[in-house]
Amino acid sequence: MSKKIFIDFKRCIACKACEVACEMEHGEARIRVFEFPDLTSVAFNCRHCEKAPCMEVCPVNALSKDDDGAVVLDPLKCIGCLMCGLACPFGIPKIDEYNKIMDKCDLCAHRRAEGKLPACVSACPTEALKYGDINDVLWAREGKIVAELKDIGDRTNVLEAYLIR
Amino acid sequence: MAEKLVPVVCPWCSVGCRFYIVNVNGYPKKIEFDYEHDTRNHGKLCPKGVAAFQYLRHPDRLKRPLKRVGERGEGKFVEISWEEAIKEIAQKLKEIKEKYGPEALAFLGSERCSIEENYVLQKLARALGTNNIEYVCRMCQSTAVAGKGMVLGHPGLTNPFEDILKAKVIVLWGYNPAATNPVFFGQYIEKAILDNGAKLIVVDPRKTKTAKYADIHIQPYPGTDLAVALAMLNVIITEELYDKDFVAERTEGFEELAKTVEKYTPEWAEKVSGVPAELIRKAAITFATAGTAALLTNEGVNQHANGTRTVMAITEMMVLCGYFGKEGVMSGAIPGAHNGMGAGLMGIGPHELPGRFPLHAEEHKRRIEEAWGFKIPEKPGITYVEMIDAILEGKLKALYVMGTNPAKALPNLKKAEEAFKNIEFLVVQDIFLTETAKYADIVLPAAAWFEKDGTAISFERRVQRSFKAADAPGEAKPDWEILVMLAKELGFGEYFNYSDADDILREINRIIPPLAGATPERLKKNLKGCMIPCPDENTEVPRLFVQGFLTPNGKAQLIPVEYKEPGEVPDEEYPFWLTNYRLVGHFHTGTMSHRSKSLSKRWPEEYIEINENDAKRLGIKDGDLVRVETRRAALVFKAKVTPHIREGVVAAPWHWDFNYLTKDVLDEYAKMPELKTAACRISKVEG
Repeated sequence: MSKKIFIDFKRCIACKACEVACEMEHGEARIRVFEFPDLTSVAFNCRHCEKAPCMEVCPVNALSKDDDGAVVLDPLKCIGCLMCGLACPFGIPKIDEYNKIMDKCDLCAHRRAEGKLPACVSACPTEALKYGDINDVLWAREGKIVAELKDIGDRTNVLEAYLIR
Repeated sequence: MAEKLVPVVCPWCSVGCRFYIVNVNGYPKKIEFDYEHDTRNHGKLCPKGVAAFQYLRHPDRLKRPLKRVGERGEGKFVEISWEEAIKEIAQKLKEIKEKYGPEALAFLGSERCSIEENYVLQKLARALGTNNIEYVCRMCQSTAVAGKGMVLGHPGLTNPFEDILKAKVIVLWGYNPAATNPVFFGQYIEKAILDNGAKLIVVDPRKTKTAKYADIHIQPYPGTDLAVALAMLNVIITEELYDKDFVAERTEGFEELAKTVEKYTPEWAEKVSGVPAELIRKAAITFATAGTAALLTNEGVNQHANGTRTVMAITEMMVLCGYFGKEGVMSGAIPGAHNGMGAGLMGIGPHELPGRFPLHAEEHKRRIEEAWGFKIPEKPGITYVEMIDAILEGKLKALYVMGTNPAKALPNLKKAEEAFKNIEFLVVQDIFLTETAKYADIVLPAAAWFEKDGTAISFERRVQRSFKAADAPGEAKPDWEILVMLAKELGFGEYFNYSDADDILREINRIIPPLAGATPERLKKNLKGCMIPCPDENTEVPRLFVQGFLTPNGKAQLIPVEYKEPGEVPDEEYPFWLTNYRLVGHFHTGTMSHRSKSLSKRWPEEYIEINENDAKRLGIKDGDLVRVETRRAALVFKAKVTPHIREGVVAAPWHWDFNYLTKDVLDEYAKMPELKTAACRISKVEG
């Protein structure tokens, strides 16, 4: 099944350890932390979409899915046409102006090959970034909420705890 | 390409995180996360930890000894040989000692160096006949050490990190761990709050990343925390929320404390601190009725001229509620640097022997003198900030600085710079040409933390070994090695017979009882280390004060505390409260972090936070340049207009030039300077 980075943004403290770790591995940070005036912060990287628009529009088939379901770029095929950047709803693929090709997160393919976690996930001190089979991550979250529902038994508290906070 | 993973302890804050340096033929290529060992950080790191390999190979690294050829402070030097440098230093120290006596010499140790190196430094100072030996604990935790020392008998963290997971209420007072200890925050505090439902009370004039998670956020004027603490004591006592059995069995002085805080009502505290009385009441009740609570304080409490009193009052809240000696409770001091606790234990203090025994503890003194083979001087030394006055008065003639940067860290920097310009002889031993080094007569190139073996003690009281993971650049040498060279040149060779860090640690095992069991063999075998006190190789102490406190009679001392203002408060002329804070991506004076590419890129410059209503009144918009003036100096900052700081207070990160603004007034108990509060006025820079 596909593995992804799940972002639990209420845990994020905008420390940017993920950015620095990504920069260490790839020379440029491919994950970015966005901070909002109300102190909310969200670390954001490529979502490795199930139906990735970037893959659909690439004229030279430089983008493909690897065994873990990560959308990866073949730098030898890429012609730097920017179509993937235009098609991506998040504007994730960036142009590497020095090498004249695109650059995007590959979920740390070289680290996964050695059985390690992506660098940003390895670093994240608050576990706002979780890596794994996406269904497992979602099941775990669902299970936690359901367990609390059972415990509390009072719906208003649940709403308060999870919607208003 | 021989790639080796070398296990190291993180060289920044005092959480005690472990990771690997990827060593390629002596070159530190990058870090690698340690998910294999049982570590306190569970493999996780903050941005500084991840970037920790970057400053090592910065082109500014000192590679050869330097001798000053220009004016002091100008930074003009020529390279000289090690032999020349050591000879010259030894000769000057001897001359000054002969001419003015040993009390004209002073030494500064460092929380950035290993316990072994600090041990050797204080031993060398004492061999020369002076107790003028200090380190930055004076400006960091000295008030916590004094305050907690008087009340509990020991300032150390009472419980291992995981105990906070079971706390029902967590109070973070003048402490923003989301920025200063992100791994401790994420792996322990945040889990307690988000996963286990702990309530969080934050006391801080700014709405920090930590305060984002707070159920109750108290925003006093900087340095008026003491008023809030006294009012909380008042509520806990008058509403009888304290643990009566605990107070009766394990404390002394309750009646007098109750009488003293009677007048300090929440309504009184509201007038002083600007915090609504009801909020103080709510916080006190939440804390006292929690059942188990953690109360952690840091620089927002410590770095004030009323710091010791504030620490005492806050610690007494813990005592009244009996939050000691079980799971789910925690309190203690949190040094800024990775070896803050370790350096102090080595006796790097003007009134302290190795092991942090007082200088007049005859029995220990005799024991150490016997082991060393020479006498320890009688006369107590001069404290850190008072050294500046001593230099200006001509009492101190020579200063030997190891791995610390007073010319940026001291309060009232103009005065400090004056002192460094006028001292007779200054030696600085560091990894970069720091602001202090620019004034030095001789600069010695030291190996950085990853370029040598060494031991550090984290704020959890955990002793850990870090291993040599890279070669030092040029001719740089480990600090202990430089000190041994100097000791030999001074004719003390017989007392300094060490060939590696293990030799020194074995001597420490013999001299300092709480470290007797932290042997090189144990620390190499077990990377997780051990929690002091460890009297022998098989023991450690995870929880303090389970049976009794470490006061002379084993009881907590509820010393009555009266209110005192911080070192400077606003008036008509200087109407704003000025305070400072740390950024997650920088460290103290920035010697290392400003030279780490990934950090300086993300946190490039200083700025000043100003409340949106104050800004509107003064016609200041976000991004405008503003002139911030105190009675000592004026600086220009970029304004950051925000709702996240209380009205009447302005705040800036201190990793740049902030300390020109601060005042060198001292705490009466601990000689801590007022680093966190100053009165200032603000004006928009036109043009």
